[in-house]
Amino acid sequence: MSRAWLAVLAAVVVLPLTVRHAIATEIWIFAIFGLGLNLLLGYTGLLSFGQSTFFGSAAYVAGYLLKQYAINVFVALAIGVVVGAVSAALVGYLCVQRSGLYFIMLTFALNQMFYFIAYQWTTVTGGEDGMPGIGRPALLGVDFRNPLAYYVFVAALFLLSLWIMKRIVESPLGKILQAIRENDVRAEAVGYDVPSFKLLAFIIGGGFSGLAGVLYAMLFGIVPLEAIGFVFSGNVVFATLIGGSGSLYGPIIGSFVFIWLSESVSVVWERWPLLLGVAFVIVVLFFRGGCVEAWARFWSWRERRRALEGIAQ
Amino acid sequence: MLYALMGLGLSLITGVLNIPNFAHGALFAVGAYFLFSAIHVVGNFWLALVLAPVGVALLGLAIEYAGIRPLYAAGHDYQLLFTFGLSLILGEGIIVVWGPIGFSQLPPSILRGGLDLGFIFYPKYRLFVMVMAGLLVLSTWLFLEKTRYGAIMRAGIENKEMVSLLGIDIHRLFTAAFALGAYLAGIAGALTAPIRGLSPSMGVDMLGIAFVVVALGGLGNLLGAIAAGLIIGVAQAVVALYWTEASVAVIFAVMAAILLVRPQGLFGIR
Repeated sequence: MSRAWLAVLAAVVVLPLTVRHAIATEIWIFAIFGLGLNLLLGYTGLLSFGQSTFFGSAAYVAGYLLKQYAINVFVALAIGVVVGAVSAALVGYLCVQRSGLYFIMLTFALNQMFYFIAYQWTTVTGGEDGMPGIGRPALLGVDFRNPLAYYVFVAALFLLSLWIMKRIVESPLGKILQAIRENDVRAEAVGYDVPSFKLLAFIIGGGFSGLAGVLYAMLFGIVPLEAIGFVFSGNVVFATLIGGSGSLYGPIIGSFVFIWLSESVSVVWERWPLLLGVAFVIVVLFFRGGCVEAWARFWSWRERRRALEGIAQ
Repeated sequence: MLYALMGLGLSLITGVLNIPNFAHGALFAVGAYFLFSAIHVVGNFWLALVLAPVGVALLGLAIEYAGIRPLYAAGHDYQLLFTFGLSLILGEGIIVVWGPIGFSQLPPSILRGGLDLGFIFYPKYRLFVMVMAGLLVLSTWLFLEKTRYGAIMRAGIENKEMVSLLGIDIHRLFTAAFALGAYLAGIAGALTAPIRGLSPSMGVDMLGIAFVVVALGGLGNLLGAIAAGLIIGVAQAVVALYWTEASVAVIFAVMAAILLVRPQGLFGIR
C-alpha cells in the first residue's frame, strides 16, 4: 500500500470528525465526479465541458425511480452508472470526431440541450424548482438516513471507484489513452482506433459521473436544476485543474479545495459565484499548475527569503 | 439575424484568437444592461444604442489585454477556465449592480406599434432590428472582406505565424479582433433588450446558441456563421409556432442531427 493510499484513507477517517457529515460526503461525491473527468482531461487529453450532462441525467433517472418506486440502493446506483454511460456514449459519439475548440464547444452545446430538456420537462424534473423528495432507502438493516452511515457508504464507494480508476489507468487501456493524449496522430499510425478509444474513455468517465450523480441526489434528497447545468460542468473542470490534472489523486485534492472554498464563501455572501469566478481568474492567471505547483512556489519563495536574510546578516 | 450577429462575433474571436470564449454570452447581457443604463443617463435611445456596444468593446479590450493575453500559450483548459470565471463574474456582477429581477425596456416611440405589410402585421421594432442586424452583418462582412485591416484579420485566422512574420503586430490584431467580437455581442444584446427584456440569465441562454451557430458554420468561417445563424433562427421560429416549450432544445437537436451527417459543420472545411 502506497503513501498516497494511506493519505486518502487517513482523510476518509479524519474528515467526518472535522467538518459536517454532509460536506464530508459531498467532498467524496465530487471526487468521484472528478475522477471520471480526469480520465478524459488528464489521461486522454480531452477537455469535456459537459460532464454535468451525465451527472444530472443519472441523478434525474435514478432519483425519479427512487421517488416513485423506492428501488433498492444498489439498483439505483447501477441504473445511475448505466444512464451516465449511455448518455456519455450518445454525447461522445457526436464529439469524438472533432478535436480542440470544436470538441469543447460541442460538449458544452449538448450539455445545454440536456439542460433545456430538464428545464422544460417540468412534470418529471420539476424544472427550476428541482426534483425533491428523493429518499435514502435502508440497506441490510442499515439506515442511511443517519448521516454518518451514509458518509461511510459514500466513502467506501469512493475508495472502490479510486481503486477501479487506478486499475484502469495502469492497464493497457490506460496506456493507450495516454498515448492518444501525447500524440493522437502517432497513436493512430501505430494502429489504434483513436475515436473508439476516446469514446470508450467518455463512456467510462460518464459511468463515474453517473454514480456521483445518484449519490448526490440521495445526499440532498433533491435533484436541483443546477446539477445538469453548465456551471456544474465548469466547477468539476476547475476542481480537477486546481488539484492537478496530471495525477490520479489530483481531482481528490481539487474536490477538497473546491467544496471547502465554495462552502466557505457561500456563507459570506449570497452572490458567491462572483467570488468563485474571481478565484478561477486568479488561479488561471497566477497559479497555473494547481495546488502542487503553488505549494512548490511557496517553498522556493521561503528558501529565497531565508537566503536573502542570510546575506543581509 | 441576431444569432448571425452573435455567431459572427464569436466565430471571429475563436477563429483569430483560437480560444473558447465562454464569456461571449455575458458580453451580450452586459450590452443589454449598458443600453438600459445609458438610456437612463443620456435619455436618448439612439445615443444609448451607439454608446452601449462601444462600452462593451472597451470592456472586451480590457479583458483581452489584462487577462487573455498571458494565456495564449497556456492551453485550452486554462483559457476555458478563465473565460468561464469571467462569465460568472460578469453574470453575478449584473445581479449585484442591477439586481436579480429583470427589466423591460420599451423601444423608442417612433418604433412602437406595428406595421401593416399587407399580408402580415409586424411590430416595427422587430423590423428595425432585422434591418439593423442585417446592416451590421453586411458592414462587418465588407470590413473583413474589403479593407486592409479585415484582410489582416482573415489572414490571422489562416496562419498566425505568417502574419507576424510579415511584420504585423499579432497581439494588436488579437486585441482588435476580441474588441470587435465583443462589440458585435454588445450590440446584439442592446438590440435584443426591447424585444425580450433584460434578465441576468439572458447571457447564458445566448451563449449556447452562439456556440451552436459557430459549430454549424465552421470554426473561423465567417460567412458560415452568418448562414448558420439565419438557419437556426428560422428553425427556432418555425418550431416555436407548433411546440413552444421545445424551441430552445430543438436548436441543439438540429445541431446534433446536422453534425451526425456532416461532422465538420455545414460550411466547415477543417
